[in-house]
Amino acid sequence: MASVVEINPLTRVEGHGRIEVVVEGGRVDRVNLSLTDSPRLFEQLLVGKSYREVPEIVCRICSICSTIHKLTAIMAIERAFGIEVSEITRLTRELIVQGGSLQDHALHLYCLVLPDLMGKRGVAELVAEAPDVLKKGLAIKEAGNLIQEVVGGRMIHPVNIVVGGLGQRIAKRDLLRLKQRLTAVLPACRETVCLFRIPFPFPPLPPPEFLALVPDHTGFTGGSFRLKGGESFAVENYREHVVETVGPRTHAKLALADGREPTVGALSRLNLGFPLEPGAAELFGPVRSELTGGDIRGNNLAQAVELCHAAERALALVERLLELEGRGEEKVEVRPAEGWGTAACEAPRGVLIHSYLFDGEGICREADVVTPTSLNQRALSRDLLALARGIEAGGEDAMRIALEQLTRCYDPCISCAVHLIRI
Amino acid sequence: MNRPRLAIAGLTACSGCQLMLLNCEGELPEIVERFEIVHFPMGESGSDPLDRYDVAIVEGAVSTPKDHQTLFRLRNASRTLIALGTCALFGGVAAMNNGTWDRGEALREVYGEGAGEIDSFRPAALGSFVTVDFAVTGCPPEKSEILELLSALLAGTLPPLPSYPVCLECRSRENLCLLLERDDLCLGPVTRGGCNARCPATGIACEGCRGPVEEANVAQELELLLERRFSKEEIVRRMSRFKAEWDYGQRR
Repeated sequence: MASVVEINPLTRVEGHGRIEVVVEGGRVDRVNLSLTDSPRLFEQLLVGKSYREVPEIVCRICSICSTIHKLTAIMAIERAFGIEVSEITRLTRELIVQGGSLQDHALHLYCLVLPDLMGKRGVAELVAEAPDVLKKGLAIKEAGNLIQEVVGGRMIHPVNIVVGGLGQRIAKRDLLRLKQRLTAVLPACRETVCLFRIPFPFPPLPPPEFLALVPDHTGFTGGSFRLKGGESFAVENYREHVVETVGPRTHAKLALADGREPTVGALSRLNLGFPLEPGAAELFGPVRSELTGGDIRGNNLAQAVELCHAAERALALVERLLELEGRGEEKVEVRPAEGWGTAACEAPRGVLIHSYLFDGEGICREADVVTPTSLNQRALSRDLLALARGIEAGGEDAMRIALEQLTRCYDPCISCAVHLIRI
Repeated sequence: MNRPRLAIAGLTACSGCQLMLLNCEGELPEIVERFEIVHFPMGESGSDPLDRYDVAIVEGAVSTPKDHQTLFRLRNASRTLIALGTCALFGGVAAMNNGTWDRGEALREVYGEGAGEIDSFRPAALGSFVTVDFAVTGCPPEKSEILELLSALLAGTLPPLPSYPVCLECRSRENLCLLLERDDLCLGPVTRGGCNARCPATGIACEGCRGPVEEANVAQELELLLERRFSKEEIVRRMSRFKAEWDYGQRR
């Protein structure tokens, strides 16, 4: 007779989901992963809205990733209209991306994963049991949020980044404030790597099929994708390579890349040659062999390496913006043009694609958003099954704990995944 | 000292309101010392579904039977229920097309034949289903307002609500008026203040994320925007972003 081990709801992740492990005759038969956020139908909501409204609406897909959603939408629109932005705009945008990375990785590592490493329920118990470590993590998170607030005008759903440029430039005193805060948290970023060095003691999981952008000099965006061991393909041709389907029991779409179950995120980026800043590269050196070709358990450590990269890179960008302080800037004219625009960025949890069709008036006619969690969903399901089978003799409670820990390694963002795509 | 027992939950939303709470990095250690966080799936594992709470803080709109069930359970288990953010208070972005589209059709376009399996309905505010004792607005809410709420709860009371529009704060900051001087589609005159005119202060028109201020002169706003050659259609579309229904004839 079949019995079911249920994890409902999934906790310490963004959004709503549940896992059911179906056990028959003492053996794990299958694992059902359901991402159950209600469909908010964003792609449909955008149809009929003007290009000015699109980034403001679409960033509401997800709060944690709101900055990168907004920026990717803006870049797709600029591509559709053939707009080139100034150097100051480019640098400022990259700075807010690094701020988003810092806040996002610090939230995931210190608030959501650290309790697993210390055998705690969550942040509240960490306050009592490991206050100093938690405070360091929160200071990193706060520094990331300060960038978002100063550059974006708001911590979540930033307003200062718009099509063609910026609402206003960052004042010198604010840049100096960022410099001071980032310098102060850099040591804590370095220490994070030691904290997440040891992976969860699971039996080995299937090797991932890494997918990431081939980065340009900024690291967060690029013109083509690379799939481990496969061909690279151009961002604008993504529809020929990334196929999304509807699955049973889940409100998120399931994606395949060139017929394979891709894994995106920090671990994929480091495996496919992400250009790290010097300090982060130094930290990556000793762990490179563990992470190369390794399974998803290494994603937390990879995020820790990236945390250091984000702080260093943000500092370098602040320095550069301070050098450009006195330089004037020409306003870019925004003139709508008919056609498609597609852009892809590396969001903190992996590849994010936005693609829009506009008419000559700049009204959106079609919209498509592919998120990291929908790209990861098949690999997550595959790993959950492998892990459940590997530990099936260990008892139900141990299985529940381990499967949640594995799910958190993917750093899923369920409201991102359940945003919906036209088929 | 008695620690109030707190439940924090999200329904259909982007988790931004709950994230805003986690964004109180400096205050977080003190918050978890002063309150007993009994139920908070986004930040804590292992809560008991039969628990009772002093206060439940709920983010998001109601859009699935599960949302409905969660909301009723929290209402029944809590002395005070607080709506956190614009989705919980007005329906928010997911509800913007409620008045203009057929949700079933939109679902079929996305899920094809699978649409029938998706158990969801038109997103609606918490107040459509249960009594809401207090609401913090904003998409996202201001950190300061969340902290004011928590401090007031510790004192056994609730904080005052701003009854003035974004415009008032904007003028007192001496910002350029984006509506009158730049002809932008700015919703500051009809939007509830409390954000210190955050967006106009960076040169970006108010998108109305905090919903209507009391006694909003909606008709006058409409006239001002029509004079600036915005079409009625565009104005209605923009105003519906966070709250689908407005009384466009309302003068105060």
